[in-house]
Amino acid sequence: MARMKFYCDAERCIECNACVTACKNENEVPMGVNRRRVVTIRDGEPGERSLSVACMHCSDAPCQAVCPVDCFITTPDGVVLHNKDTCIGCGYCFYACPFGAPQFPLDGQFSTRGKMDKCTFCNGGPETADNSPDEIRKYGRNRLAEGKLPLCAEMCSTKALLAGDAGVIADIYRKRVVNRGANAYLASGSLQKGAFEALQTPPQPE
Amino acid sequence: MLGLLLPFAAALAAAGDEPRVAPDPTAVSPGVELWDAVRERQPFDAGQVRTQPPGGERGVLINVGGEAWRQFRMQELIPVAARVLGGVAIAILLFRLLRGKIPIRAGRSGEKIRRFSGFQRLVHWTVAVLFVLLALSGLVMLFGRYFIIPWLGSEFGGALTYWLKRIHDFSGPVFGVALLVMIITFMKGNFPALYDLKWVFKAGGMLGGHAPAGRYNAGEKGWYWLAAGVGMVVVVSGLVLDFPNLGGFDRDAMAWYHRLHSIGAVAIMAVSMGHIYMGTVAMEGAFECMATGYCDSNWAREHHDRWYAAITDEKSPSDTATGLVEPAPEPSAATRQQAG
Ligand code: HEM
Ligand code: SF4
Ligand code: SF4
Repeated sequence: MARMKFYCDAERCIECNACVTACKNENEVPMGVNRRRVVTIRDGEPGERSLSVACMHCSDAPCQAVCPVDCFITTPDGVVLHNKDTCIGCGYCFYACPFGAPQFPLDGQFSTRGKMDKCTFCNGGPETADNSPDEIRKYGRNRLAEGKLPLCAEMCSTKALLAGDAGVIADIYRKRVVNRGANAYLASGSLQKGAFEALQTPPQPE
Repeated sequence: MLGLLLPFAAALAAAGDEPRVAPDPTAVSPGVELWDAVRERQPFDAGQVRTQPPGGERGVLINVGGEAWRQFRMQELIPVAARVLGGVAIAILLFRLLRGKIPIRAGRSGEKIRRFSGFQRLVHWTVAVLFVLLALSGLVMLFGRYFIIPWLGSEFGGALTYWLKRIHDFSGPVFGVALLVMIITFMKGNFPALYDLKWVFKAGGMLGGHAPAGRYNAGEKGWYWLAAGVGMVVVVSGLVLDFPNLGGFDRDAMAWYHRLHSIGAVAIMAVSMGHIYMGTVAMEGAFECMATGYCDSNWAREHHDRWYAAITDEKSPSDTATGLVEPAPEPSAATRQQAG
């Protein structure tokens, strides 16, 4: 059984926002909600990095813990899904979530919150009928049910954003880190110096 | 990783090829700085942060306060509220079993004294009905996950909670206005007096003996000021929670207002249970005051002696008991002293 994970490689993300656009389009995300967003820090300075962030489908999910109506389920794939029929729009998941993933469409009357909306890992909702019109209307497309991975990661031109089984993602990322470390070492710190200075320290034999 | 790098190191060492730049073991990886900035660890410098989606806090990568709020609500608020509210309920039950109903000892005189105006009663009951609605719907938000959802299922239980939350959202601001009016209409008679201290030391007569009271006793005065003070805190914080898209409060601020709201609400609900018990089934002759506006003169004499004395010009039994005033010459004074 897979354990689905996202990973965004800060050394690769070029802040093109393709993932954001892909997600909005594929899932017909409501007004005012961005299930995925790209955040750039140190914009225009040395050390500038960008990260694409969405719901990280936490193992011990804070949103799930605080929800007064127990809206969330974790699928056997480790995807945290949210039930819009049960949700009361209290916003508690939004207070608790580490990543700002739960957002609220601006359609609540008298400025109250509507039903919460967040990334589904392109896995629709808790409905049993995959990709039913109801599921698509409420949650967007269920690509996992079609054997596909989330579109944001599939679209990513630099493959900064990875989505899939945690073991596979970790392997890919580990290889990248090792290669970067080796490159930095071989080039004696001259390659992408700013980013990898720590790795100038030659590894000590154990 | 270290293991994978070793062959490179070995190869380099064999070639005798020294790195051109001397390795600096103290150099901090900019990766560390990146994650420090993301997690808002000190010292951090995220520089200029930019993100395309509009809206508050979209530029925040990690919401540092979220975990603290989760701990507060799940580990503190819910268990403590359950203990406090359950504890008060058990205390009331025990008190009832041990002491029974508080009677009018001298019996009803049949003589009615005006205690509350029609307007006061209207205000009181408006606040009371809204309070009960707010408390019940609030309790469902607080504890519903543990009984409503498992019992009624997520579909019906969720819909029920949704409508209760709507009731909470809408009755909140009305409650705020009604509470303000109540604070004004009930202020007279609720200022503390010296004899209230005596009432407090005698625990309102619970330990036996007479506890002096004016129009309101010290317990009622305490309830008035608690309802006024903490009530306004609950109203103001509730208004902030009610309009998440208007006030421009960020996530952390909302969570702090939630803390204020829920702690204040639990405090008021706990004390209100005592008030409701006293006003309904605990004490003979109490409920009719707020229901009809009139009380029995013997009830007034026994529970609000100073007020009774003031409106009837009679010396109150507690004055005679403390020797502040000469005992009244009538023979009934002694019995009344005991009765008080
Ligand atoms: C004194 C009577 C009140 C009581 C006993 C009360 C109690 C509660 C309780 C227990 C909660 C749930 C907290 C949780 O689940 O963690 C809550 C939430 C809430 N209360 Fe009240 N409340 C009262 C008055 C008000 C007023 C006057 C307003 C508005 C003006 C208000 C607005 C809200 C809102 C909007 C929520 C939902 C929280 C959110 O959306 O973030 N409440 N209240
Ligand atoms: S919404 Fe937030 S808390 Fe919930 S699983 Fe996603 S990232 Fe975790
Ligand atoms: S907004 Fe909805 S999903 Fe989030 S905690 Fe409230 S009820 Fe649960």
